[in-house]
Amino acid sequence: MITSDEELRIGVYVCHCGSNIAGAIDVEALTKFAEQLPHVALARHYKYMCADPGQELVKRDIVEFGLNRIVVAACSPNLHEPTFRRAAEDAGLNRFLVQIANIREQVAWVTEDKQEALEKAEAHLAAAVRRVAQHEPLQRQFVRIVPRAMVVGGGIAGIQAALTLADAGREVILVEREPSIGGHMAMFDKTFPTLDCAACILTPKMTAVKLHSNIKMLTYSTVESVEGSVGNFRVKVRRKPRYIDENLCVGCMQCIDGCVFTKAKFPNAFDQGLGLRKPVWIPFPQAVPPVPVVDPEVCLQITRGKCKQGCVEACGERNAFRFDQQEKIEEYEVGAIIVATGFQAFDPSVIPYYGYGKYPNVYTSLEVERLLNAGGPTGGKLVLRDGSTPKRVGIVHCVGSRDANYHVYCSRVCCMYALKLAHLVREKTDAEVYNCYIDIRAPGKGFEEFYNRVQNEGVRFIRGKVADVTPVAGQGTTAEGGLVMQVDDTLLGKIRQINVDMVILAVALEPRADANEVRREFGISCSAEGFFLEKHPKLAPVNTANDGVLLAGACQAAKDIPDTVAQADAAAAKALMLIDAGQIELEPNTAWVDEKMCSGCKTCIALCPYQAIRADEERKIAVIDQALCKGCGTCVAACPSGAAKQHLFADQQVNEELEGLMNYV
Amino acid sequence: MSTARKQAGAELLEQLGKSGYGKPPLGCMQCGLCAATCPLGSAMEFPPRNLLLQAASGNLDKLLESPSLWMCVACYACSKRCPRGIELTESLWPALRDAAMQRGIQPPAELQETFQNVLKYGNVLGKSPRARLDWTKSLDVRVLDLSREPRPVDVLWLVGCYPSYYPRNQVVARAFARILTQLGVAWGILGTKEKAVGECDRMFGEEGLFETLVEDNRKLFDKYDFGKLVVLDPHAYRALQNFYPRFGAWYPAQHYTTFLAEYMEQLRPLMVKPVETVVTYHDNCCVGRRCGCYDPPRELLGLISGVKLVEMAHNRDDSLCCGGGGGGMWLDAHIVAHGGQRLSDQRVREAADSGADTLAVSCPYELSRFEDAAKVTGLEGRVKVRDIIELLAEAMDLGERSVA
Repeated sequence: MITSDEELRIGVYVCHCGSNIAGAIDVEALTKFAEQLPHVALARHYKYMCADPGQELVKRDIVEFGLNRIVVAACSPNLHEPTFRRAAEDAGLNRFLVQIANIREQVAWVTEDKQEALEKAEAHLAAAVRRVAQHEPLQRQFVRIVPRAMVVGGGIAGIQAALTLADAGREVILVEREPSIGGHMAMFDKTFPTLDCAACILTPKMTAVKLHSNIKMLTYSTVESVEGSVGNFRVKVRRKPRYIDENLCVGCMQCIDGCVFTKAKFPNAFDQGLGLRKPVWIPFPQAVPPVPVVDPEVCLQITRGKCKQGCVEACGERNAFRFDQQEKIEEYEVGAIIVATGFQAFDPSVIPYYGYGKYPNVYTSLEVERLLNAGGPTGGKLVLRDGSTPKRVGIVHCVGSRDANYHVYCSRVCCMYALKLAHLVREKTDAEVYNCYIDIRAPGKGFEEFYNRVQNEGVRFIRGKVADVTPVAGQGTTAEGGLVMQVDDTLLGKIRQINVDMVILAVALEPRADANEVRREFGISCSAEGFFLEKHPKLAPVNTANDGVLLAGACQAAKDIPDTVAQADAAAAKALMLIDAGQIELEPNTAWVDEKMCSGCKTCIALCPYQAIRADEERKIAVIDQALCKGCGTCVAACPSGAAKQHLFADQQVNEELEGLMNYV
Repeated sequence: MSTARKQAGAELLEQLGKSGYGKPPLGCMQCGLCAATCPLGSAMEFPPRNLLLQAASGNLDKLLESPSLWMCVACYACSKRCPRGIELTESLWPALRDAAMQRGIQPPAELQETFQNVLKYGNVLGKSPRARLDWTKSLDVRVLDLSREPRPVDVLWLVGCYPSYYPRNQVVARAFARILTQLGVAWGILGTKEKAVGECDRMFGEEGLFETLVEDNRKLFDKYDFGKLVVLDPHAYRALQNFYPRFGAWYPAQHYTTFLAEYMEQLRPLMVKPVETVVTYHDNCCVGRRCGCYDPPRELLGLISGVKLVEMAHNRDDSLCCGGGGGGMWLDAHIVAHGGQRLSDQRVREAADSGADTLAVSCPYELSRFEDAAKVTGLEGRVKVRDIIELLAEAMDLGERSVA
């Protein structure tokens, strides 16, 4: 509010931004234009306003010329609004008496004609001057940060992030959808390029999670809803019933032996359906927590209410079974959230010409990982569906990746895991292996060396994308016999038919089927292919557009284990930085209620998307919680009596800004 | 090779990139999926991948003189699968054929004859335009010839060259006339004024002849008041849907399968006679793979009581071509002479393997191609080839039976 005794003295600063702005807009003319605007006490232009001398200029002028409002015509306020607010504050001016006119992104970079650019810049500048005249001093507000983080997803990304935070002494809630943590990495046999056994390097970390006093592990659980904002999230977690009390179970697995089903007959999803399990089961021997889970779809006790309960008998006095367990919702308060929900393997049955799902000996790479794994359905033996050992194996690269019909992106890890699988097939069998590839992408540490090693081991390489997988002629379409891969050997310039008895499809990594719902719940965006979007592809790779929500692992983009672990540590560091700050400054553009004008109609309460408004029944007014308000303006627009107002977006401020703009259009 | 020649190849590809047919061919990553997908790739001196590579490198001389330039039968499999979304079938092949002819390279004689026929008589068979209405002679329903009796109609049916002249296809034309009448559709034809739509001419690379046909047809169509064009020939449908609009000639057009599928509820009670047969449906390449329309023909067959529908090993996106598109109808001898196989033979064997006794088709070329193939492969008694229209007409008890 301008009091009558205070003369408005506005200082205007036009930035050249090197030649970014000065190359497109006549900055001298713009400065002259500014000088004649009402209340403008002085106008200057300078090469780089954001540099120290530029800021010093503002500070000195405030003191020397008694400026009480500042307008900087420069780049987007996203970049340097905080810079100039601080400069003003250093000179004793309230930091909210500063307005930025964005003449770079909105004018200089997008307007070719110089005269047009000048006129547009004048309009922006006039708008900012008229607006800032209406600004009032505001107080900075801070809220406390809950010193606890949540990690969503218990694959290698989530495990690593949780351990790093916990080792730094912070409380962590780790939420995992499956009955065990471990994710995809737990399914693998070996890892490229060093060929360490995946379980040998992963299971110690899984155990560490379980034993860590700072980590609360919620397996078989999903995030139901996320409310609040940075520093103060309230997360509801849906906990599915295991029908076994996690605290009482000792992981002896005797219940599985005791189950009335003497034979396993249900497909084990962890084994990609290649292995079978009972109604009470555990995904893999090293599962964490080592607690079985009862499948309510097939357990006789649950489906029919009648069973001899061999499991309960086997459990004995440990008495861990709870058939009356119900799903429940738990709520947690956290200051930061790391989303590490991972990827899913592309389903190749949508590509008709590879015959997946039609010819039994066409496998996905993930299925072969399970076959090769000692803990898998064949005890680590690579065998075909009929139990025989393959003699000729074809590996098809880029299945679902680098393909405009499926995913245009390169999945980044397939070349390397295909090389690894080729090596393991050679190690475990005498089979000839044919890798049909478009380009071998081996750009990581030790990757090219591994490629060379696999070449020297005798694996055959054919440069061409496989066009058809068909049964050997005369065998009919469903025969379990040999297959033919048709491929253009582009180096040889010849279309070849390769006879094999096993085909491995190196499938793409893709966003999980529910990625869209998940991203909405966490208030983040995704890029065109559906992976979660980082705040900046280079400079903010683990942050998201939603402050306090961070990303780690393959939910952000297809990546390998080393990169995933590095990103998980980065996300943990960012989370730590946030929650260790203890408090966080709120944006000042919150809404407030003019008590004299509020009629207590409660219209705004139902509309507020952040549950920031409550009714004061005694005084018959609405009260807005400044810590919860995100400044969306919904209540301001909806209030029938004009009592809801918003800092920095008062009617007068917005109107003056528009007037300023329209006068020069 | 001269630099000018080299540039010619690259320029050609650059132009194609701007033509609006699929993604720019310069984005090819030489993965070879097209070449290994092509049903005739193994027999080609320059299968699609190599064709593109050689063109990009400017090695046009050998390429344009190669017999393989005349071996593409426009099955669209390479275009459909191309991981970079490059349109080879409708863009690269016709452009290279056009370039060859502009250099005076003669296409196979059979094709030249077809061009002459279209040019002189307005139909691919070289028949007299006056005989265009012969197929209606034994017809028991009224045919409205708009060229004699212009009046507004809902459907302007372009009968097509084969259904107008070729005895085996005339049966189908008559059956379709009866079905339209039974459905109470207000329909008319162009009588002796009708001309080829010209799809094959464009695919051969006869761009000039095609443009002439577009102009002639535009003038002709614009004389009459009709709701939409309906065609029996999927190739004509593709041309009207995608090639004609590029010359500003836009007309709502439907292939008869999608047209009839809109009358499902009216057709259902008209199915009075069971047709006891096991049917497998052959997806034609234009309406099927190119336009992704697979269900309407199957839904129509599903209307007929007694029909048991089975699928061949290759169907829908993955269907095998009859070998008749892109000029293939006239190129069997050329293709076989250069090491290729007749694709229709392979398809008929697959139909037999599916357990079907009837191979249902929806393209005028396919009737004769598959009937010939059944003879050649010794499957004549086992697999009957019938157009969906014939099966529907039989189920509706509409007179004349198939002559097959």
